[in-house]
Amino acid sequence: MSQDHDLTVASKILLCRCEDVTLHDLQAALDSGHQTIEEVKRFTGLGTGPCQGKECLVPTCRLLQRARAEQPDLATRHPESSVDVVPFTVRPPVSSVTLGQLARSAEHGEPGTPTR
Amino acid sequence: MPSFPPFGARREPTRSADALPVSFHHEGQQFSARDTDTVAAALLAAGVQVFGRSIKFHRPRSAFCLTGDCGSCLMRIDGQPNVRACQTKVAEGLRCERQNAWPSASLDVLAAADCFFPQGMDHHHLMTALRPLNQLMQRVVQELGGLGRLPDAAPTMDSLPLGQARHVSVAVIGAGPAGVTAACAVAARRSPMAKSPRDRSILLLDAAPVPGGRYLSQAPERGAHALFTAQSLGVELSPQSSVFAYYPEDISPCARNGQPGLLAVSTPQGLLTLTADRYVYATGGHPQNALFGNNDRPGVLSVRAAGLLFFHHGLHLGERPLIVGDTDEARALVAALVSMGAKPRHIDGVSECVLEALGSPWVRAARVTTRSGVEKTIPCDVLIVAEPPAPAFELARLHGAAIAFAEHAGFAVQTNSVGETQVAGVFACGDVCGPLTLDEAQRQGHAVGEAVAASLDQEELR
Repeated sequence: MSQDHDLTVASKILLCRCEDVTLHDLQAALDSGHQTIEEVKRFTGLGTGPCQGKECLVPTCRLLQRARAEQPDLATRHPESSVDVVPFTVRPPVSSVTLGQLARSAEHGEPGTPTR
Repeated sequence: MPSFPPFGARREPTRSADALPVSFHHEGQQFSARDTDTVAAALLAAGVQVFGRSIKFHRPRSAFCLTGDCGSCLMRIDGQPNVRACQTKVAEGLRCERQNAWPSASLDVLAAADCFFPQGMDHHHLMTALRPLNQLMQRVVQELGGLGRLPDAAPTMDSLPLGQARHVSVAVIGAGPAGVTAACAVAARRSPMAKSPRDRSILLLDAAPVPGGRYLSQAPERGAHALFTAQSLGVELSPQSSVFAYYPEDISPCARNGQPGLLAVSTPQGLLTLTADRYVYATGGHPQNALFGNNDRPGVLSVRAAGLLFFHHGLHLGERPLIVGDTDEARALVAALVSMGAKPRHIDGVSECVLEALGSPWVRAARVTTRSGVEKTIPCDVLIVAEPPAPAFELARLHGAAIAFAEHAGFAVQTNSVGETQVAGVFACGDVCGPLTLDEAQRQGHAVGEAVAASLDQEELR
């Protein structure tokens, strides 16, 4: 069986495991006045790892929504924050692909036949 | 009394009929596996608990979702960095190594970072007060940054498979309950009527090593039967085919009327650029974690991962799995575990919820609280998180579909009463439109498949 040791693990609540962003980090971003998903992404780096936010997006949006609900005067002070909850901008590729596969397929030939 | 098999032990004789033994190497050690295993399943079966270390704090990480959605099982496999162990099948002689650790993932001294930053890392202010300090930190970060080392050897262009372009009548993306049922419904109605093979071509794409989506983690026999039915109705199945983009402005050489817009698909045979008369997004959902202390600990698994290990890979989950959350996947798993003689503990995550996972590196117990604040520690072999999956809206969104956020459902793709999005000819069904039970997903897939067939019929009559 395993010989794995772990002497040091501190208790953390991970919001984004890809980039090791904790719930505490998000709170720090909110405390610094950041309110939207793109702002907290830029501040903490959440959503920028290998899974591209597939895990952290929804919990983060929930927390942002709750933070707004707790500050009813926010909408008047910052009208831009009252917009609907939106996700990160989706950009391809949405799952991993090698550059080699893209490069090999850069040129098209006859329909239905291998191209190069 | 004989002791209950531990987590990862093989349930015999599950799947032994169609599985061949293979051996593979993990950091110099040789392990035996089955050729139906993924690397992740084979490692868990071999008792390997830590798959690698996290990027900043070097916390131990293991498989979590087993569906290729999260990033916690990235390993160096056959000399290629950052390969998902859960999406790679074991092959004879395969070599896998763990990443992001020094001197080893088993005892990683860089994990000291986890103690230096007990709450998180504020990189805006980390050693930035003085310029020389910032410059020094820049050097350290450059050395430590990034995940994995470069590949042993870059592939030459000639060794890579060529790309292909295709046009089909209907492209269904995702072969889970909704996608397979939709494909069947289209095929059942279209096959006798279509004028040419091109008009009845239905392509069912699935990204996973084995198609079936959530069937595999909940009801594999139903999945196998559904896929068999689909293929006997003439649906073409394209497994291990990951649709990674919709490019609205690109024009495929196969597109009808030179219409722009194509799907880019990564397949074992190379890149496929695909166009279709109708698109059905049945991309399902991404397994979600819950927010509790040490929720990234090895041994914390999504309910889908646990179901896959138990039903599909045929592994035991230990005598005392703790399941948190009340979804139909959770209930199906608990019932199956009980019938196997295990003693699963099922809490709903609301009236009783987890505060912290305990144990190191593998979870050994959970600190749980009731709504009234009564705390207790529940020992467990594995901690299974059953949160509703977050709709995998990304592709449909690239294709122009509208999405809307709901606290419970995440960002769900919006459709009309027959499953069509705001883009004509683009449909969606299943968990991508909001969390459903398996039966609901099948019913919705069937209805949407019929609507797709009806819209094709109408077009022909015009």
